[in-house]
Amino acid sequence: MTFRLTCPVCGKRDVYEFTFGGQERGPRPTQEGLGAEEHFRWVQFRLIPGEPREEWWYHGQGCGVWFRTTRDPVANREVEGGDGDG
Amino acid sequence: MGMGDRDGAGVVADRAGPPEGRLPGGPTCRVDFSRPLDFTFLGRPVTGFAGDTVASALYAAGVRIFGRSLKYHRPRGLYSMDGESSNTLMRIDGVPNECAETTELRAGMSVRAQNVRGDPRRDVFGFLDAFDRMMPAGFYYRVFHRPRRAWPIFQNGLRRMAGTGVLDPVGFGDGGRAESGVRAERYLNADVAVIGGGAGGMAAALAAAESGLRVCLFERRGWLGGHLDWRTRDFDGVALHRRGEALAARLLEARSRSPEIVKVFTSSPVTGVWGENLVTGFTVGTGDDPFRECHWECRAETVVVAAGCMDRPLVFNQNDRPGVMQVGAAWRLARTYAVRPGGVAVFSVGDDLGLEAAADLAELGVEIRAVADAREVGRQDAELVAALEERGIPVLSGWAASRAMGRGQVKACELRPLNGTGSRRFRCDLLVANAGMQPRIGVLASVGARLAYCSHTHGYRPIELPPGVFLAGSMTGLRDPRSIEASGRLAGHGAVTCCLDGAQERAGKAAATGGREAEATDRHGAASVATARRDADALPGPVAGCGIRHGPGIGRGAKAFVDLDEDGTYKNVVESARQGFDVPELAKRFGGFGLGPGQYRVAGQNLAMIMAEMRGDPVEAATPTTMRPPLAPPSLATVAGPNHDVHKRTPLHGELAGLGAIFRRAGAWERARHFSEDRACRDEIRNVRRNVGILDSSPLGKFRIFGPDALEALQRVYISDMRGARRGRCKYSAMCNDMGQLVDDGLVVREGENDYYLTTSSGRAGPTVEWFRYHTRYDGWDYNLVNLTDVLGSLNIAGPNARKVLDRVTDSDVSNGGFPYLGCRRITIGDGVEARCLRLGFVGELSFELHVPSSYCRYVWDLLIEAGADFGIRPFGLEAQYCLRAEKGHVIIGAESEARVTLTDIGMGWLWDREDTASQKVGAPALRACEKQPGRMKLVGFRVDGSGRGRNGRDGGGPGSGSPRDGAVVVDGGEIVGYVCTTRRSEALGWRYGMALVREGVVGLGGRLLIRQEESPGRPEICTATVVPPPFYDPEGGKPRS
Amino acid sequence: MNWLRLRRLWRPAPLKRHYDTVIIGGGVHGLATAYYLNRDFGITDVAILESQYIGFGGSGRNTAIVRANQRTAENVRLYEEGLRLWAVLTDELDFNLMFFNCGNLSLGHSEASVGAFRMLAGTHNFLGVKSELLDPQQCAEVIPGLDISDRPRFPIQAGLYHPPGGIVRHDAVVWGLAKGASARGAHIHQGCEVRGIETDGGRVTGVRTSLGDIGCNRLGIMAGGYSTAIAAMVGIELPIHPLTIQAMVTHPLKPFLHHVFSSNGYHVYANQTLKGEIATGAHMDPQVNYTTDATAYYLKHQAEALVELMPALRGVRFMRIWAGLADMTPDMAPIMEGELGWDGLYLDAGWGYFGFKSGPVAGKYMAEYMASGERPEMLKAFQLKRFLENRYSGETAAVMKYGHWD
Repeated sequence: MTFRLTCPVCGKRDVYEFTFGGQERGPRPTQEGLGAEEHFRWVQFRLIPGEPREEWWYHGQGCGVWFRTTRDPVANREVEGGDGDG
Repeated sequence: MGMGDRDGAGVVADRAGPPEGRLPGGPTCRVDFSRPLDFTFLGRPVTGFAGDTVASALYAAGVRIFGRSLKYHRPRGLYSMDGESSNTLMRIDGVPNECAETTELRAGMSVRAQNVRGDPRRDVFGFLDAFDRMMPAGFYYRVFHRPRRAWPIFQNGLRRMAGTGVLDPVGFGDGGRAESGVRAERYLNADVAVIGGGAGGMAAALAAAESGLRVCLFERRGWLGGHLDWRTRDFDGVALHRRGEALAARLLEARSRSPEIVKVFTSSPVTGVWGENLVTGFTVGTGDDPFRECHWECRAETVVVAAGCMDRPLVFNQNDRPGVMQVGAAWRLARTYAVRPGGVAVFSVGDDLGLEAAADLAELGVEIRAVADAREVGRQDAELVAALEERGIPVLSGWAASRAMGRGQVKACELRPLNGTGSRRFRCDLLVANAGMQPRIGVLASVGARLAYCSHTHGYRPIELPPGVFLAGSMTGLRDPRSIEASGRLAGHGAVTCCLDGAQERAGKAAATGGREAEATDRHGAASVATARRDADALPGPVAGCGIRHGPGIGRGAKAFVDLDEDGTYKNVVESARQGFDVPELAKRFGGFGLGPGQYRVAGQNLAMIMAEMRGDPVEAATPTTMRPPLAPPSLATVAGPNHDVHKRTPLHGELAGLGAIFRRAGAWERARHFSEDRACRDEIRNVRRNVGILDSSPLGKFRIFGPDALEALQRVYISDMRGARRGRCKYSAMCNDMGQLVDDGLVVREGENDYYLTTSSGRAGPTVEWFRYHTRYDGWDYNLVNLTDVLGSLNIAGPNARKVLDRVTDSDVSNGGFPYLGCRRITIGDGVEARCLRLGFVGELSFELHVPSSYCRYVWDLLIEAGADFGIRPFGLEAQYCLRAEKGHVIIGAESEARVTLTDIGMGWLWDREDTASQKVGAPALRACEKQPGRMKLVGFRVDGSGRGRNGRDGGGPGSGSPRDGAVVVDGGEIVGYVCTTRRSEALGWRYGMALVREGVVGLGGRLLIRQEESPGRPEICTATVVPPPFYDPEGGKPRS
Repeated sequence: MNWLRLRRLWRPAPLKRHYDTVIIGGGVHGLATAYYLNRDFGITDVAILESQYIGFGGSGRNTAIVRANQRTAENVRLYEEGLRLWAVLTDELDFNLMFFNCGNLSLGHSEASVGAFRMLAGTHNFLGVKSELLDPQQCAEVIPGLDISDRPRFPIQAGLYHPPGGIVRHDAVVWGLAKGASARGAHIHQGCEVRGIETDGGRVTGVRTSLGDIGCNRLGIMAGGYSTAIAAMVGIELPIHPLTIQAMVTHPLKPFLHHVFSSNGYHVYANQTLKGEIATGAHMDPQVNYTTDATAYYLKHQAEALVELMPALRGVRFMRIWAGLADMTPDMAPIMEGELGWDGLYLDAGWGYFGFKSGPVAGKYMAEYMASGERPEMLKAFQLKRFLENRYSGETAAVMKYGHWD
């Protein structure tokens, strides 16, 4: 076990209770007129500087809520509590 | 009590007189002479006593050479009594690398030496010691590779010389001779975890416990007390061990008052502190414990590190000779185990504890010829010096051991001044040596503290502690017991304040204060920390340490070991530095320091100090290198613990088992794969095609989605136009990911206004809710998705007689007119079990699937079996289903799809609602992008040319059969252009069919595939097949509709 | 005896203000590229910038397993050439890389794995790389002590034995290549952290480092798991996900495990080092991460798996656990690219946990790519644009969940 995440419903829980949902990249681009490259860039390509970033996590072994939280990939720790759609 | 919290054995009083060769058991003795324990060493009988460790019993029995060293096969002896080198790793009861110094003696143990055949006093490889000059650091990299042919020979030789313990890979196993001890695991929570049960740790635990917070204290030895435990010196009118016992008594009293608040674990080394204060370790079972070892993990709000100190090894010529041991080892042998460490001793120390040990051993009758102290004159505790000199023992300040003499074991030693010339030799059989004490920094490194070398204490200290971590005890350089206890109280109060601050913060957020914490807050003023700090500051601070880097006069020929485990010498450090590896982090890899069983914990500080000296840097530049967990080595069985096997069984598991099902794990489930030893399942398949089969398909994912926006959600995740889902009718569709790859397929039935029932593949039942919610997370849609997978069982009857069977168990209309293909009905089974009944065709026959509450499954099963008896009903399993559906060309995710192909590539593009961009269907943009891309892999059906029976007429295919099997590759010229996903010989068709993923453009319909399999190199089997469109069986699809 | 004379393996060099070629990352890929730039193309004006010390990253943190039993032809060819280089480099560098050609045994635990292994065997043997499909009994003959009974949760159903594979002393590769590169004129700068990339009119012109600014004509990013952070300095988005991968060793034992074995079902690979330790690993936490923190969770997971696969290991003790970064791509194949939108900029990353065994061969072809500006035929399969076209390499059959490594 490493660090803990703050589930908006359950509070601080061990990271292994959660599913990682990736970096926040906004809602999916409108499909009308969407180019292939634009789509795959949105799906696959990321900028990952060593800075805290917003991410999606799912509390699968808990309450089943997707939420956003900020985590620093350099420290591998959550930097602030969740404020997701829970 | 389970693992219980234990405080270890009490001190055993002198219940019986000392047997021959033993010292009288004093007040600190833990050995019970009234309980002899017989065991064997090298097959010879030896007797020890309850309370002995294997090593103390062997030493008492006169054993001096415990094993042979890794590289040079030098004889090695008892060294630390704390398992800080591999010298005394032995084979105990067949288990290699057991630590004799710390393993409690049990009756009947069989003990053997390692890295030697038989008696370690005689070793045929002992000659290697003479070759150390030929083997400078990194020499392996410079030799043996020329000529190239020679390397494999050398390599085998090197391999044979490697390692120490011997493991028999096939002699163990189920009910095996050795490692079958019971393992347990325990998960703990604490406000304050205290690491170390010495005076500092105990004081910290008491301070925290008095504040009402939950405390867990972990002590690696079998009892509390730390270095007070065996010290009889008087302090303020009380013997030090009494002082330790008093503290322990207070702590244990606090525990018995509130066992849920205070937990004390002895024989419990910590293996690591991981992110956010997760403390892990294991407890070695003793006495009545129901386990041999117990793995535990403790999530703590705060951690008090009070791990204490250990002897810093003194690096000097021949410092590994049996008879050279650390201060703690000699002292504890005598005081804890009543074993005389030697007859005539010389000491070379760097700390007052060493002087105290010398005086104490003299008191116990060990003849001490001299005590060298690496510190300058005047730095010593005058009282101790006086006590030694009173006995006529010369104390040589500013001197240290420069050499040990004697072949098999120490016969004499040489002392020299650190500055100046001259030397003195003494005959002795025991050389007690250290370079002073070094803090046990493993835990600090483990919590991620940044460490720096302190030129006052000559040990590492943290520059910065992570939040919630506090430091106490002798590892800070404190020696005065009052100071150590005060530092513990300060750390304890600090931890309490930190917990309460955290609780307050949480309370502020959640507006709910835990009663316990509030209570604690009242009792615990912020003033406590200030008071504790004042107390601590008024007491003596950290004492000046000893900065000696190595013994005096280390010459070129010296065999001065920095790392005993891997025979890493001072000379090797020099050689590493000369080759460019002049920082510890590089040298440790190149020269092999700190990579053996003692890890960097023992040799690390010396290596860094010596490297700094070599670079010409001040001692402050002795930066520590990374220290890695586990801080104590746990056995794999212990870490694995009970190894819980968590899986699911269907409601019909018992029925299937009764019918001879052979089960296999499929995802989370245990599922019936076959019903006979015939892996081709011919009978099961035939019966479905001819009569009727019954399948337990309960793991199928079953969901209900309802709410105003349910349809919106369906439109997002399914690739088809889900407005087409109607009442009473199954709509088949699929889900893709954003790469257009197939992730799931299943049925959707509309059951009411904004109310749908849907099925997923068994493997997707788990992630379906996650998937829906993920892909609709920005939309704020109002829908509920309920997972009914485990609530509802599923029974599938398939075959020409399926309707006849169903008709017998229900009054509902199941005629073709009343209940057409792909229909979905609520029907009543038997005496009134309401079932969703779906009429499907996955296996290509007339088929009904009944979804009923799990609790009714057995009843419905029995009814169907009984009703089907006249119609030849028999169960079939997953493999039969796999073949039946393949004959129909129905795709199974993962079997006929993979990462390179999209929905359209596998011929399921007809499901995709191309016109819809408004719903933002997941996967649609990828399908659009790839639909017309040339050269993609496509799924094709094929018919193997010839009978498909192969040359030997076997159905199964495979080696020698001349017919392909799953995974055979498709080749075109010199290229691999695809592979066979699934192929079977169909009894119904009379030929071998299959599906393959093949690069587009290689072959068209009616074309030839060249299929090649080569399971063993040089034995290719080649056959051809003709591309035909699936489905292979019943291409018109009349059977499921009949 | 000449070999007893101890010299520095690589020379300390002054930091110049400008180099023809600068390589970021002092691991096997960077060092090999520098070595081959000189050996094959005579380019000596090369600097290797390493933020810590050489071999600090994945090169020194792997379990040293080498093999060529990949899933697709492009990958098999690349790794097969890589396998042949160990002996060649041992000679060329005059440094014993200690290639132990012990063979690898992959274990399958499902009916599906039998087909998957047959596909691998068929592919390898067709390409002249030996692999053999084994039944459970044969697996136990290759590796005595494997539990081939029905006791494990996922009983062994098949094996794929791959004789050409084995293990190499990973540190030796780093040091040997450093020796070779340095002897051929390359400057190795340790403790030199890159903090920025300088560009001018669509070209890279240099790097800003903790030791000062350095100009260059060509820049290679070969920093393993840290490559994404470095690419981000010039705004390059990549389909690479740096993840922490863990490994561990047990106390040393006399040799009894004479091959590498691995199991996808249990997420385990294990081998016995030349020193006798059982080196084992594989777990990755899913979240992007630049730390090398090991976890208690994994120690437990690994123990659970190993005692099921080989019950004799029950009494063996773990001695050390560590972690490194794996730069994962969605299709488990690397990205070797010179068309990144900046002239003179090259990327060799995304190796996941295949970075060690590919080091020398990747260096060889990256050197060709950087020296000539022309993409070598061997590297055509490893272009970045495949992810913009949704054409995966097929190195894994597994389907991604949400995209990227999510």
